[in-house]
Amino acid sequence: MTNARILVVDDEPQIRRVMRTTLVARGYMVSTARSGEEALEKVRDERFDLVLLDMNMPGIGGMEACRILRSQSDIPIVILSIRNAEKEKVEALDAGADDYVTKPFSMPELLARIRAALRRAPLASSGTPEVLNLGQTVINFVARRVTVNGTEVRLTPKEFDLLRYLASNPDEVIPHAKLLQAVWGPDYGDEVEYLRVFINQLRKKIEPDPSHPAHLLTEPWVGYRFSPSKKGSGTV
Amino acid sequence: MRKSFLPQPVKVVRILGALGIVGGITFFYYRIFIVNNVTVALSFLLAVLAISTRWGLLEGLVASLASMLCLDYFFIPPIGSITIADPQNWVALAAFVVTAVIVNHLSASARKQGLESTHRQREMERLYTLSRNLLLLEVRGPLAQEITNSIAQVFELPGLAFYDRTSDRVHRAGPHDIPVDAGKLRDAAMQGTVFHDTATKTTIIPISLGGQPIGSLGIQGSQVSETALHAIANLTAITLERAHAQDVATRAEAARQSEELKSTMLDALAHEFKTPLTPIKAAVTSMLSDSDLSPTHQELLRIVDEETDRLNSMLTDAIQMSRIEAGRLQLHRSPQSLRKIFQAQLARLGESLEGRKVTLEVPEKLPRVSVDPEFTGIVIWQLLTNALRYTPPGSPLTLRASAEETEVIVSVEDCGPGISEQEQRKVFEKFYRGKEQRDRIPGSGMGLTIAREIVRAHHGRIWVESQPGKGARFSFSVPRALRESLL
Repeated sequence: MTNARILVVDDEPQIRRVMRTTLVARGYMVSTARSGEEALEKVRDERFDLVLLDMNMPGIGGMEACRILRSQSDIPIVILSIRNAEKEKVEALDAGADDYVTKPFSMPELLARIRAALRRAPLASSGTPEVLNLGQTVINFVARRVTVNGTEVRLTPKEFDLLRYLASNPDEVIPHAKLLQAVWGPDYGDEVEYLRVFINQLRKKIEPDPSHPAHLLTEPWVGYRFSPSKKGSGTV
Repeated sequence: MRKSFLPQPVKVVRILGALGIVGGITFFYYRIFIVNNVTVALSFLLAVLAISTRWGLLEGLVASLASMLCLDYFFIPPIGSITIADPQNWVALAAFVVTAVIVNHLSASARKQGLESTHRQREMERLYTLSRNLLLLEVRGPLAQEITNSIAQVFELPGLAFYDRTSDRVHRAGPHDIPVDAGKLRDAAMQGTVFHDTATKTTIIPISLGGQPIGSLGIQGSQVSETALHAIANLTAITLERAHAQDVATRAEAARQSEELKSTMLDALAHEFKTPLTPIKAAVTSMLSDSDLSPTHQELLRIVDEETDRLNSMLTDAIQMSRIEAGRLQLHRSPQSLRKIFQAQLARLGESLEGRKVTLEVPEKLPRVSVDPEFTGIVIWQLLTNALRYTPPGSPLTLRASAEETEVIVSVEDCGPGISEQEQRKVFEKFYRGKEQRDRIPGSGMGLTIAREIVRAHHGRIWVESQPGKGARFSFSVPRALRESLL
């Protein structure tokens, strides 16, 4: 998906420069912002396909900008940060980021991450039903829409792809690495914390009782399993 | 005790007073008011009683002797001589003398006891005041001098000297300069014996705590009892010890804070350096992925790329070190599969393995371990990069794990030049770099220290076995996860 519009948010001018040069050379359309505030303003006025967001910036900072951005839109967000502790990664994913890249990064790696974030899993294959009715929750895979008790809930593209992959393999235990590769891309596999955060967010959105999930089930140490049974929805 | 301390003129005046009273009674009964001898003797007895109660034993004795002589001379016939005619009068006089002496003695000792108990009470009050004063003393500042002042003031001592062994100084207080020199005080402190000097009326008492001599006190005047002296010495010792303990605590706190500041600064600095590395790395890797480059340019850019990585890895080491040193190493332990951690680290090393053969020797049923996966990954990564760095390119490595009863032993084995026995002891030390390799092979000298600190935080052990020329094996232990049933 070249021609995609990318917003690069970083307070370091040299980083903005190198990103603009490289990404433009790869056929992306690039816009830059120097702060979280400026980024929020730009996103309001223009349409972007992806935001590359620096974590450590003066002002509201990357984490808060990510949170606000996510509350307003489902645009893919890739966080760029110097810190690589797991705690910070999880915090960023919790704030709604789709991916987390540690600085300094190699350009091919970042480009792969950008492609993964822009990638939508191909439209429903033959094995997937068009609409899945779980009782209170109804998932329309063609329209990419989810309703709970008749109200539409917004899923980010990655959340939706994750749900769809799990739902198209009902009652099958899917290992972490396989799930990561199917949804994020072939370069992934070790980022178990991504799944933990995303599954949690999905549970909050579609499960009648997120702390006692009926559909998105954890298989300890192995992976996740989707249960389409409506049993959970009737008993509250 | 207090008696002997009274100035002599007072005593003389009192004795003269006692004689005067006896003389007065004699004059009264002899010249003015003639009564029978029994009344006179009783009057004398009353006088002796009064004098000895009021003034003490010596004055009472003088009064009783004088009374006896007066009674004999002026009232017992033959009057005007100290001879006694009637044997009956002998008995009377003897009875008088015995009674006078006993009365005198009893009243004097009662007085003495009374005096002593008031004295004791006063001393107790003073000790209490002193202990309160010493407790309230500010530990900072000239503590030894303040203690000295406080003792001299509370006990109203004419002169006091306190020898503080820590500073080897003598502190003095009181209106008089006590005539003892530092040498004497020092000797008393070191020998732990009490010195009395009757000529100058000074007492030197050692101060010790837990058998350790910490000083001595020289006191002039003897109105302080031995018991009180020991109590003062103990109070002083406790006060000094308290100050010392607080001092140590303050210093430890200061050292901790300074260490924390250093770590925080190191952390901030390392992050600052990573900021310019980011565009360099991005730019150079971007250029390297361009297929039109000439081999020369490609090689040159690869050098830039590799050196950027090297700088980055040194900064990462510095950041990890600072986190460990600031005591901010917070482990989030959970049951983990070592195999997964191994694979993740090998994947992370990727190209830097340079096609080396890494054998993974992990038993099929390796129990899970209770570790922080992130930090355990760092240990394995550090051991692997260490092995990669110090062994010839292309030589194989073995990454092994084996289960023991309560722990799992992980080891990284190489076929490099090995490590001499002396160096084996030093390799885990901070900034230590192998003698042979120091100038040839890049490294921060922190990697193995980081590994050691992380293993220690997990309550594990880390060690190296090696023979020069026969490779090296670095091993560490991690505890097994308890709840196997969960898996």
